[in-house]
Amino acid sequence: MKRRISPTLIALALAVVLFFVGGLIQPGFTSFELAMNILRLAAFLGIVAAGQTLVIISGGEGIDLSVGAMVTLGAIISYGLISKRDDRILIGFLASLGAGMIIGTLNGIGVAYLRIPPLVMTLGMATVIQGLIFAVTQGSLEGGSAPLLSKITTEPLLFGIPGILYIWAAFAGLMWLLLQRTRYGKNLFAIGTNRVTARLSGVNVKATVITTYMLCSTLASFGGFIFLGYYERVFLNLGNPYTLPSIAAVVMGGTVLSGGVGSYWGTMAGSIVLTLITSLLTTLRMEEHLRQIVYGAILLVLLAAYGRQRALRQ
Amino acid sequence: MNKVSLSAQHLVKHYGGVVALADGNLEVHAGEVMTLVGANGSGKSTLGKIVTGVVAPDGGRLLLNDREVVFRSPQAARALGIVAVYQELSLVPRMTIAENIWLGHEWQGTGAVLRDAEMRKRTEEMLALFEGTTHNHLDPDLPIASLSPGEKQIVEILKALSWQPSILFLDEATASLDSRQVNRLFELINEWKNQGMAIVFISHRLDEIYRIADRVTVLRNGRTVATAPINELSQQELINLMIEGGVATRTNGKRPETSQAEEILRVESLSTTTLRNVSFVLRRGELVGLGGLQGQGQTELLLALFGAIPYSGRIFLHGQPVSIHRPQEAMRHQIAYVPGERNTAGLLPIQSILDNLLLPSWKQYGFPLRVRQAQEDAAGIANVLKLVMAGLDAPVNTLSGGNAQKVVLGKWLLRRPKILLLDDPTKGVDVGTKSEFYKLLSELRAEGTSILFYSTDDEELLGLCDRVMVLHDGKITADLSGERLVHSELVAASMGSSV
Repeated sequence: MKRRISPTLIALALAVVLFFVGGLIQPGFTSFELAMNILRLAAFLGIVAAGQTLVIISGGEGIDLSVGAMVTLGAIISYGLISKRDDRILIGFLASLGAGMIIGTLNGIGVAYLRIPPLVMTLGMATVIQGLIFAVTQGSLEGGSAPLLSKITTEPLLFGIPGILYIWAAFAGLMWLLLQRTRYGKNLFAIGTNRVTARLSGVNVKATVITTYMLCSTLASFGGFIFLGYYERVFLNLGNPYTLPSIAAVVMGGTVLSGGVGSYWGTMAGSIVLTLITSLLTTLRMEEHLRQIVYGAILLVLLAAYGRQRALRQ
Repeated sequence: MNKVSLSAQHLVKHYGGVVALADGNLEVHAGEVMTLVGANGSGKSTLGKIVTGVVAPDGGRLLLNDREVVFRSPQAARALGIVAVYQELSLVPRMTIAENIWLGHEWQGTGAVLRDAEMRKRTEEMLALFEGTTHNHLDPDLPIASLSPGEKQIVEILKALSWQPSILFLDEATASLDSRQVNRLFELINEWKNQGMAIVFISHRLDEIYRIADRVTVLRNGRTVATAPINELSQQELINLMIEGGVATRTNGKRPETSQAEEILRVESLSTTTLRNVSFVLRRGELVGLGGLQGQGQTELLLALFGAIPYSGRIFLHGQPVSIHRPQEAMRHQIAYVPGERNTAGLLPIQSILDNLLLPSWKQYGFPLRVRQAQEDAAGIANVLKLVMAGLDAPVNTLSGGNAQKVVLGKWLLRRPKILLLDDPTKGVDVGTKSEFYKLLSELRAEGTSILFYSTDDEELLGLCDRVMVLHDGKITADLSGERLVHSELVAASMGSSV
């Protein structure tokens, strides 16, 4: 079906190259511990970008710029509710997902019913979420992560591999199931390709769009929950640096910005590449501001390159 | 101004292998109204497009005031005074009436400053031409979006007028005007005519043609077959000119007697923006054609029955009133809709043939989707359709037009529709595929499927259907069956004639 080399494979090859380049620059970069650490960070980005994958496949200029803010909100809700107690992890988990569902549904309604362009809707929603965070916390954050949560996400669980990677693998399986083996997945690709055809074939286009944005925010919020496990602390804009990378990871993985084509495997590979790039920049001992500039420039170049590839194909 | 004359001689136009115009001739002089008539596919719109510079001819020549001219664009034709008013509106909704009228030829003063006040004044003068025929007073500063279809059409006409044409093409320009507005337009046309303008008037309303035309040019199968003063032709003679000499032959002579069959669908006073109080009955196993000129509401009727556009009126299935306001609801009642615009409305172009065939049916495969079963079912359908393809996983846009159209029909077969709505499904489909398509329809009908079949191909309607309902201006003007199911009746009804 595909005549070109799978973008997933290209991204994976790029990841391997970057890994060994890192090893050349800094011996020890290729150590098992560091590799696990990179994958651990990639898993976090990969989960945040999972929802973005769905939104971009849904087409109609679909994009979610509120994922960063949603990660922050998810982390802060978990932080506040868990308050260092293992027995409250579940409550924190469910509450953060619930918040994601509400915000995402609002995004979806704005896009599907009010016909607000996704870019505007989600950017506006990001601002609303930020305001919400300020209002709720009043600037002071009370709470904490739980030991068990950090243990699951960070520490080696089996064969020296951290628990989060097992979670990510299972999650990837679920994403495949969702995209390839559910009616929702089939409808998602259909509305991403041609909404008129989809509607005239009995697809409930609006419901599919709303579900998609709902899933996206929920997964971003889940990302925030995991963030708490990693860093055990929160701050007011912790999610912001992840919005653009979540899009870049999706696009690198071969999901087409105009919709209708894509896979989660690709997004996973894209997440690994982006995380490797960040780690490499850190290894180079670049100063923080310079690192941000370089990383931002790389993201821009990547997005431009993949956007151009799409234009050439049409 | 000198006395203008335009003469199109032996124009030819091909689209791919299809001959749209084989020998188009048209002559119009200053001070006359020439009308162009023809059935669907007769080539009248192609002829109009060539003469106004929209499309370039493959052969023949155009003489303007006895000098040969070649138009590379509508702008080139406009520069020589040939301006067209089209039915498909070309106005920019968010701009005002004045801005739209002067778009592309704004009056400029020194330093390219627009002379707004003067343009506004001229706009007011022009709008005054239709004063009293519009519901609201038309102000030059009103945005187009706030106007009714009729008012938009008036602006469209004035826009053409602002170019000061010597030859004016009015292509179905009266379709959205009410009778008062049509009367005013006809008064104006007579005025313009007396001032020396040449007018070409295309309309599907026979009565209007007889009211306004001086002469008529008749096209049939891409050829100009007659040009004559209108008062020398009776309506019946005109209709006879529009159709082939002989009576159309039927390809489907024997038809099962269906007039006594069980009633499946009953529609009572269905109205949409185009349709006006349409009522009819569809019986089990009946293949009913929808005829008439293009754009008379046939597509809207099918879309309304499929729940895809809003409508008023009542729909009964098996005698029970049903509410169908979304495609899903229509599908629940086993109604299927096959659009003619397959790329924009029928297919998911980049997705696989498999995904296209199964799109309406995934519901029946549970969770997780039983993909193997789905593949087998799709393969079965592909077999029935005799699809020529590389494989079910190939993208559907690798198929030929005919095969792609089969997929658009095929995706409904899995659902075993009771009522099949076909919207000009054989448009641009090769002859071989067409006959396979007809066979398939016959089989479905034999199994008891009721089919409502809109086609712009009159031969197809006459050859295939048990009866044909003809639409004209959003109304069913004739229900032809038996002895009356012949081309002359079909064309007469298409033109709104009661002959």
